[in-house]
Formats: sequence, structure tokens, C-alpha cells
Amino acid sequence: MSTLNSTESSIERAVKGSPQADTTTPTGERKAIIEARNLGRAFNKQMVLKEVDLTIYEAEIFGLLGPDGAGKTTLMQLMAAILDPSEGHCTVMGHDTVKDDYWINSHIGYMFQGFTLYDKLTIAENMEFSADIRGIPKELYLERQERLLKMAGLYRFLDRAAGNLSGGMRKKLSLCTNLMHEPRLLLLDELSLGVDPASRHELWAMLNDFRDDGVTVVMSTPYMDEAEHCDRIAFLHEGEIIGVDKVETLHQRCAGHVYELHTKDRGRAHNRLVEHPDVLSIRHLAESVHFQLHTANYIEADLAADLKADGGRIESVEPTLDDAYTMLSGGEKSTAYAESPPKIHLPERLPEGGLIRTKDMRVEFGDFVANDDVTLEIKAGEVFGFLGANGAGKTTFIRALCGLQKLTSGDAWIGGVSIIDDPKRLRNHIGYMSQRFSLYPDLTVAENLSFFAGVYGLQKGDKKKAMDWAISVTDLSGVMNQLVADMSGALSQRLALACAIMHEPAVVFLDEPTSGVSPAARYKFWQLIQTLAESGTTIFVTTHYMEEANYCHRLGLMHQGRLIGIGPADELTAALPADVEAETIEDMFLAYIKIEDARLEKERQAASGGGI
Amino acid sequence: MKLHRLYAVMRKETREIVRDHVTLATAFLFPVVMLFMFGYAISLEVENVSLGVLDQDQTPSSANLVDAFTESAYFKLVRNYSSELQIRKSMEVNEVKLVLVIPPGFNALVGRENNPEVQLLIDGTYSATALVALNYGMTIVSRFNEEDDNSLIDVQTRIWYNPSLRSLIYVVSGLYAVIIAAFPPLLTTLAIVREKESGSIQQIYASPLTVPEFLLGKLIPYGFIASLQLASIVALGYYWFGLPFNGSLGYLAIAGGIYVFCNVGIGLLVSTITNSQLLAVLLALVITMMPSILFSGFVFPIYAMAEPVQLYTHIFPGRYFVDVSRGIILKGAGPAEMVRPLSFLLVYTFGVFFAAVAIFKKKVA
Amino acid sequence: MWSRLKSLMLKDVIQFSRDKTILGVVAWLYTMEVLICGYAMTFEVKDLPIAVIDHDRSVVSRNLIDKFTLSEAFEVAGYPDNQEQAESWMRSGKVKYVMVVPNNFGQDLRRGETPGLQILLDGTNSNAASLAKDYTAAIVKSFEAEFSPESSRANSTVRPAVQIWYNRAQTLESFVVLSMIVAAIMMVGTIHSAASITREKEVGTVDQLMVTPTRVWEIFVAKTIPTLGVGILAFFPSLFIIWWFGVPIKGSLLLFVFFMAIFLVSAIAIGVLIASITKTLQQTLLLCFFGLFPILFLSGTMTPIESMPSFMQPFAYLSPVKYFMDICMGVFLKGVGFAELWPAALNMAVIGLVLYVIAAWRFKHNLSS
Repeated sequence: MSTLNSTESSIERAVKGSPQADTTTPTGERKAIIEARNLGRAFNKQMVLKEVDLTIYEAEIFGLLGPDGAGKTTLMQLMAAILDPSEGHCTVMGHDTVKDDYWINSHIGYMFQGFTLYDKLTIAENMEFSADIRGIPKELYLERQERLLKMAGLYRFLDRAAGNLSGGMRKKLSLCTNLMHEPRLLLLDELSLGVDPASRHELWAMLNDFRDDGVTVVMSTPYMDEAEHCDRIAFLHEGEIIGVDKVETLHQRCAGHVYELHTKDRGRAHNRLVEHPDVLSIRHLAESVHFQLHTANYIEADLAADLKADGGRIESVEPTLDDAYTMLSGGEKSTAYAESPPKIHLPERLPEGGLIRTKDMRVEFGDFVANDDVTLEIKAGEVFGFLGANGAGKTTFIRALCGLQKLTSGDAWIGGVSIIDDPKRLRNHIGYMSQRFSLYPDLTVAENLSFFAGVYGLQKGDKKKAMDWAISVTDLSGVMNQLVADMSGALSQRLALACAIMHEPAVVFLDEPTSGVSPAARYKFWQLIQTLAESGTTIFVTTHYMEEANYCHRLGLMHQGRLIGIGPADELTAALPADVEAETIEDMFLAYIKIEDARLEKERQAASGGGI
Repeated sequence: MKLHRLYAVMRKETREIVRDHVTLATAFLFPVVMLFMFGYAISLEVENVSLGVLDQDQTPSSANLVDAFTESAYFKLVRNYSSELQIRKSMEVNEVKLVLVIPPGFNALVGRENNPEVQLLIDGTYSATALVALNYGMTIVSRFNEEDDNSLIDVQTRIWYNPSLRSLIYVVSGLYAVIIAAFPPLLTTLAIVREKESGSIQQIYASPLTVPEFLLGKLIPYGFIASLQLASIVALGYYWFGLPFNGSLGYLAIAGGIYVFCNVGIGLLVSTITNSQLLAVLLALVITMMPSILFSGFVFPIYAMAEPVQLYTHIFPGRYFVDVSRGIILKGAGPAEMVRPLSFLLVYTFGVFFAAVAIFKKKVA
Repeated sequence: MWSRLKSLMLKDVIQFSRDKTILGVVAWLYTMEVLICGYAMTFEVKDLPIAVIDHDRSVVSRNLIDKFTLSEAFEVAGYPDNQEQAESWMRSGKVKYVMVVPNNFGQDLRRGETPGLQILLDGTNSNAASLAKDYTAAIVKSFEAEFSPESSRANSTVRPAVQIWYNRAQTLESFVVLSMIVAAIMMVGTIHSAASITREKEVGTVDQLMVTPTRVWEIFVAKTIPTLGVGILAFFPSLFIIWWFGVPIKGSLLLFVFFMAIFLVSAIAIGVLIASITKTLQQTLLLCFFGLFPILFLSGTMTPIESMPSFMQPFAYLSPVKYFMDICMGVFLKGVGFAELWPAALNMAVIGLVLYVIAAWRFKHNLSS
């Protein structure tokens, strides 16, 4: 509980008072802890990391930021000396990662992404194992265990099996097991993967404490909002480092480059922007279009005039790290505004189109209530975002609406057709893109598309029309004969979307669509989503990536199976009590959770009080 | 090698195994079920062979001959034919395996100078038991109404170790080697490959643990489990299947221990070259289970195989343990007789372990 | 519906053709596995290692020993110095048989004093021991005949005239080759269908299919047909192994392929059922391997069902393998036709159908819970 304001020193310096503990040399220069020179690594003759020159200093939180497949994990493993470089070299705490790998292994803390605890062991036993393999004497280990676990708020659960902990608790425990030997360097690969927003806050508080005690933290993440917390970050793009700097400096670099355009016809605006050479990126948010220019503080008069022609407004806005990444990576050429779907011949349309209504929808797994009487309504053509941590019940909700999960009670209607009474009729009218981009990895792009078109019963002319359209709007024409197994996450995501929309469904369900995808790919994706919405398709999207809420017209906030708030983001923020500050969507969401938890606590007390 | 680190790995491993009830149950249930199933299913017993009779004589003499067949435990009369035409059809649909044809005038000829001939027709599809059944039949016919023995040589045959010639004893005593070659290596491989798949092995890489400490820390608990598996199936063989036990239990324990660790070591070796559980299962099957069934001599005698195949069988440790377990359990063999196979197994065990240590690198790739 | 089915099947055919591992496994099971087993699985009593203690050391005793050495059944592995050493060899498994020729064997024989010939037999391998005993008697008899032709008149009153049907050479090879092909068909049908469905579960494409208008039975049909095709095609290379071992083909090959298709469908049904129970590929494979072995062994592919204890025999009748073994031996070795085999084929078809129905029920049940 008291993690945030723990007064104790969270971690003692490895060697108290020794010169190394000082983070600066006498001349005032900062002391390097990791130095990589021309570092590179190939897998199957393909360089996944190349020409990395990087210096990380003592007592800083250093972030490696980049989409999946950019080489973050490889770089982490090279620094942890559990992978040998193909070229160049790297020294960690003055030791070479190839020659002195054993020394480095013994002196650092390294946390692999995902959950790497032993699920069958208890918290105490996991800690004990970590201490034993490092030869820490019993008393010292007990003392450190108490201190670390208290700080992480886990000391009460010593005898609970790691497998029964929530994602956030497991991450904190993983971190603690890596602190047993009080390493001066912590390498954390995707620390916040699978962690709820509240725990993420606590983890960050711990990291800040360590940094203040002189520990160096290197962490990797695909999320821009997470990287904002770092002291310095490096952008990794296709195996290369494209920029290293302080977070504020990166923001400043893009200041004056980013604008927000309010327009009625985003298609026309898009096509005007795309052809203009000064435009770096275009981002279609729910209510506006953001664009980034090469030139700072200047919009060519022609362009500005064209954009404002139909009463549009242009404002300069604060840049994000996404913008910095886009600038440094040179952006990716945007394509023309996606066309609306062709009208293929459909057997029937649903009576109420893309309207979704649910009434007291409830799903239980044994004692666990995954969806607790959820009632909501989503209009046709709306982009609706479902926000919530892992395990909040988002995926279950989508699966139930798709007919993959039986309801315990309640009912729901899509386009006026009940999902309980007539599920088979609905199958022609929904598109579903699951979290894992469920495609056939051993088929090519073309074969996957053709297969799904066939499964939806599209024939000859319609099939060709639908496929051509899907290929053009998802920009897949160049990779038609590539095997899905060999494709990047961003391409798979586009193909999965193409497969889900070819049959022109009234409703498209997207489960965590864009995690780990580069900004450029994300922009393209959302542009297409806005097009679909404009043509009347309802988009239902779940995410735990708060930044994506900006793309949605309305949000639903899910917490422990319950819908605790629904409405446009700004209205939700406005509805909060006056004393609550919520700058970001994440803050807003946390505030709602807090209110909900307080309400539940009150109910519980009332219930037990009534009992006495 | 630091003992405290080895203990740490062993302790962790033991806790994981003990709490993984599904794996634990499978580990102890599978060997027992397999012994039970195969002990009964792989049977070469020749008894109750279905017999058909075409008695064209229909006299007391011919009836006596038929009785001689039905009274023996080997044959069971299932069909009396009235004409030769019925025989083929009956054989084709597997109704009978052996047919006795007694010609007309059999009675008249018995005891005369020109001895009568009866026909024995056998379905030779499955030669292993067909031959034995045929020989039993021929013996019955030859002894029928036999005169005094006039052999020149008195062949005194003594059958040792399995005097009642039960195939069950043969199969079960050989199965021990097969079962230990099938499950423990698979279990061990999966234990390491699972850590590779979940990524927890990366925590091991990035720690002061050395390779021998880590591998030995796995080997010992899994070796212990495998030893219990062996003990359980040997006990089942003794108490349920009634196998004789003529050797020394202590000696069997030592020999069994070596074989068990040899197989767990093979599991370790396989895990060093595998990254997916799928591949681990396939490899375990191809490297340990199939060869242990085919080339260990557990039911298929090695001496009858072609020369190159015989040489090939030496690669598989099961071949040696089949001799050892039968030698100790059934024959009461002592150290002197088992030195050769056991010392080979010992060398094999150290060989696979050191190979695993040499190949296993604390690197992701 | 037809366009859906066509798309589903086309997809499965493409996937099958791209999966090098499974194609390798199929090729291995139908050819190499059969070949290895054909060589390794033998119950013949051939070159049985024997030890000889010759106390007599006369011409006569040497002649007797030569008779054993020359026979195919026995091979002299050594001449131990004494009884103790011979027994030790028996315990270590070096020899399975010890022959002791007593002192004055030759002399006694010439005098007509019926000398004893001691045989010690390792009875562990019961059938080999039993046959070795019979072979010994035969060799001794022929030795007696050569030694004194006049004394060895036919001494039995009834002579058996033996006819061995279907497998005159009395080798196990034909049986093993055919039964291993049966096992290969079974494994390919079961493992491929189970693995391909489970893999779709793991990747999540089953869910993806379930939100489309596709029906469960369409998925089953689409999984069955390509596996069926490959299973049948893969049989043709096996014909080479059949030829190599000289297995006779007495019946109609066309008829066999027809029955094989029915058998494959029932094997695929088992795979589909397994896939409807398991969640991960690993569970599927473990269940396949440790489920298939008993099914195969209990169905008479290794040893005949008649030899099993009677309480286990009824189980064999539940297994499609048992019926197909009968069909296989019938067509190849006995030259039996459709008239005799259709009941077996019907049994297989019924078993397959029942399994499909259970699998379909489980599939729907799993989706909705």
C-alpha cells in the first residue's frame, strides 16, 4: 500500500561509499555503465540489429523504444551477455560481454519480457531460489526479502503461489527476484507487458527510487506513453538506433511541427495532405486530423488555404514521442485516403444495420464473473473503444457478441437481431479480428484473403471486387505472395483487418488491434478504421493502450467485469469530481477505478455492518 | 561447481514437480498402465488355438484322436466340418487357425504296417505362434497310439528360468527397459524445454548458475522420479504378474539406478538441441521409445536379426538393460555376469551427461 | 455452401503441402518405419546362441555337434570349460541353450545303451524355447537315422502331413510389413487430423472460422478429405516395400484401397475426437502417441488377439484397427474378396461415424461453454 511514499531507501548501493557509486567523475562527466560500439547481431543471416553505438550512464532510467521486431529484445540480451554479438562489442560495467559473460551474468539483474517466475513456487520460494543461486547468506537474504517485498506490497502474500498472482503482482515479484543481489544495473525487457495501469504506476515508483539510489535501469517498451517516464530514450527502428536523447529534448525538436485540423471532409483533407511534400505523417483521430510537417512553425499558404476551404480550423498542438519517432525514422509514405467499400451483392442487410444493444449481459466462469450485467448501446458508424486492464473482461465481451461465448444471462442485439435467438444469421454480418491476428501462417497473403472470401460465400465477381478493395485499402498489393509466417506484426495486422472486412460486415470487432506496431503503421490502420466508420460500419475496439482512446468517438471503461463509465473521453473527464486532476486518459481511467473501488468498499462495509 | 547453487536448483525443481499434480500423476500412472497394457497385449501365449476338424472316418479311433487334441490345453474345438469345401472359407474368415483332417479308413489302418496319414492345415499368417501350435499338433499326432520308445539317444531337456514357458514372464521382464526408455527422458526434456518456451530459462542464463549445476540440478530430481517409476513397475511385475525374483534386490537397485540416470541424461541431451515441446516429443519418440521397442531384444530376439541390425542395436542402452534385468530378476545373475553391460551403461551415462554439458550454452542463440 | 467447402478444402490441401514436417513424418511412417520393423521385428528361432560342453570328445559327439552347427536354428557361441561357466553364460544372456554331451557318449551309443544328452534351455523367451526343444528333437532324430538307418524305422503309428497355408515360408516379415503399414495409415490419419485442428485452435483460426457462416461439419469434412487423399497416395510407395520383402498380393489391390479409405476415415475420426478434447498441440501429441500405442498393440498388429488374455480380447472389437488387420491379411495373404470382408468394413464405418458424432457434439459444447 505504502509503495508510493516509502521512506526507506529502496535499494542500497552495491558498494557503499566506493568511488564507483558516484555517478560522476571528478571532472563532472557522467560515468558510463554500458558502452556498445558498432554492435550487431544476425539471425539466419539477417541482421536484426546493426551498427548500434550507445552509451548508457550510471543512475539513469534509459528507455529503448520501438515497435515489435525492431530489435529491442536482442539488444537487451546482448547487454545481459546471454547472446553473443555477430559484430562489434559491448562492455557492461567495464567487462566485455563475450569474454566476461559469467561476471556480467552474476552482477546484473535481467528481466525477460512476459512472466518468467516459477508458477508452482510461492513468492518466498521464488525469492529464495533467486538468492540461493547467487549465494546470498540466509540472514542477508531474509532481510532483503522483507525489505523488497514490503516495498512491492507483496510481503503479506509470502506463501501464495506465483501462478495465482495478478499480472502486476507477478511483474513486481519478478523485479524483486532480480534485486536480491542488489545489482547496479537492471535490464528490464517490456516491463509493463500484461500489467494493469495501477500496478504500472507502482512499478514506476519503484524504478524511480532505484535510480535515486544510483542504480541504472535500462528498459524496453513499444509504448510511447511509457517511454515518457524515462530520463533518456533511444528509438530503435528496423534494427538501427535512429535517435538517442532526453525525452524533453525530443519533444522540443518536434515543437511547431504538429497541427490539428478540424474538418468535415477528412478524405479530401487527407488526399491534399498526402500529395504535399512537406507533410510527414497524417493521423486520423476520432474528431480531428493531426498532421506533422517537415518544416517548423510554417504551413505553406496554399496548403493552409486548401485545408481551411470548407470551414476547417488548424491549430498547433503539443507533439508526442510518436511524432519524434516519425520524424527520426523519416516517416512512411502515406497512401491515398482509403476508398469506401464497393457495394458487393449481399444476401440481406440487417434490419437495424450496425446498431449494437446489450442488456444485462453476464458471463460467468464458475465463480468468476467476467462480465457483470453490462448494458450499453452503440450507434451504427461509431468507433467505440473498450478500455480496461488485462482480465477486465473486454475480450470475453467481444467473444460473447461474436457468438463464441455463451451468455450466462441477459441478451444482446446486433442490427436488431438477437445473438441468442439467431446467431447463425449474424455470422454474415460481423467481422472479427482477434488479439493474435488469427491467420493461417503457412498460407500466403493472397491465399488467406481468397480463403476468407470463400468462407463468407463471396463468388466470382463479388469475390474479386471485395478482394481488390481490401488489398488496396490495406496496401497489401506488394506482398501478395509472401507467407504470413514471414511477415512483420504490422503487415499481419493489416491482413487480419482485410480478412475481417471483405464481406462488408455491419459491425467489426477489433480485439487489441495495434499493440506493438510502429506509429506509421498505426496511423494507416486508424485511417482505414475512420473510413469504414464513415461508410456506416460500427467499429468496436478493445485496448489497454490508453493513447488509442483518442481515435474513438466514445469510450467504455471496464473494470473487473463491470462497465464503470461510458461516453466521449472529454465528457468522462469532465464528469469527474472537481478535486480530481486528470490530464491524460490514463489518469482519468485510474480516477474512475478509484471511485469504483471506494464505492465497492462502502457497499461491502454497509453489508457487513448490516450483518452485525 | 558450488553445492549451494546445485541444491537451490534441485530444491526448486523438486517443489515444482511435487506441486504439478498432473505431471506427477502422469509420471506414475503411465508406466504402470503401459506395463499393464503391454504385459497383457503383447502376448505370444499358445493356448486355446481354434481348431476345426474334418472327421471323414467317424470311428472310435478317429474320435480318440480328436479327443487327444481337445484335452490338451493348447486347442479348442470350434468347428466340425462335413466337407472339405467348408475348410477354406472357414480359414478365410479367421474362424479356425488349425484344421485336422482325418481320412476315411483311418481306424482300419491304425496299427498296421502302412501307417495312416492325417492332415494338419495351419494358418501361417502369424508365424511366431503358428509354428508353435503346429509343433504341438504334430506331437499329439505322433504320440497317438505310440509304441514303446525306441530312440537311440535319451534327450533330457531342462528348461530354466521360465519352466512353464509363459510368454508373460518374457514380455514383462523386458518391458522394464522399454518403459524407462520411454517416459523419463520425455519428462526431463519437457522440463527444460518448457523453461525455454516460457522464457524463465533466460533468468537462469543471466545468473551465476553454471551449466553443470543447472543440468545436474535437473538430472537428480528427475532421476529420482524415474527410479521410483522403475521401482513401481518392478513391484507390479512381482506382485501382480507373479514374476519370479531370483537375484539380489540391492544389485538390481544399483543396476536400475545406472540405467535410469542414463535415460534421464539422454533426455537432457535432447533438450539441449530442442527449443519446442513439439520437437521434444517427436525426438523422444524417435530416439528413445521406438528403438527401445524394436532393438532392445525385449520381445524380438537380437540374435535372430540380420548382422548389421545387430550391430546397430548396440547404440541403444535398452539393449543392455534387457539383459541385465532379466539376468538379475529371472536368472539370479551376480556382479560377475553383469559387469560388461553395466560398465557400458555407466560409460554411456557419463558420456551423455558430459555431451549435454558441452552442448548446453548459457546463451539465447 | 459448396463454395465454402471448396475454400476450406483448398486451404487444407495447401497447408498439408507446405508442412514439411508432417510430409516427412508421413513418408517416414509409410516407408522407412516399415522397412526397419520388417528387419527388426522377428520371432524366428534362427542362430540361437548355444554353448556346448563335450565331455566325450569322440568322432560321434563331434558329428552330433556338427549337426547342430549346420542347422539354421542354432549357432554355437562357445565351448565353456565346465558346467559353472556355462551356467554363468546363461545368466548373462550370452547363450540361451547349453548342450552337455556326457562321457562315453559315442561308446554307449554304439553299444545301444541309450546315452543321455542333456539340454539346458533358457525358457525366458517361451516360444523360442519351445521351438528350440522341437528342433533339438528333430536334429537328434535325423542324427539317429544317419547313425543307424535300420534302427530308425518310422516309430510313430500316425504320420502328420502338414500343410501351411498363406505363409508357406513361415517368416514373420509379411505379417510385420503389412501390420506396420496398417499402423502407418492409422498414425497418419489420426495425428495429422488431430494436429491440424489443434493448431488452428492454438493460432485462433478456429474462432475466426466460427464467426463466419462455416458449420462444424463443414470443418470436419474439409479436414477429412485432404488427409484421406494423402493417406491413400502415401500407400503407393509402400508397395515397393511390400515387393522388397516378397509379400504376396493374392487379392485385389483396388478392393484394398477401397477398404483403406474406410479405415482412414475412422482413423481421422479418432484424430478429430482427440482434437475436440485437447487445447494445445502438446496435449494432442501426447494423447496421440500414448493413446495410439495401446490401440495398435491391442488390435493384433504386433501379436495375435487370440493370444491375449480373454478379458482383454473384447476391447479389440472396439478398435477399427482390428478389422482392418483382418482385411489386410485377407486381401494380401489369403486372397479373400468383398463377400467375406464387408462385415469388417461395415464395423469400421460404424465406429468412425460414432466417433465423428461424439467429436461434433464436443466441439459445439466447448464453443458455447
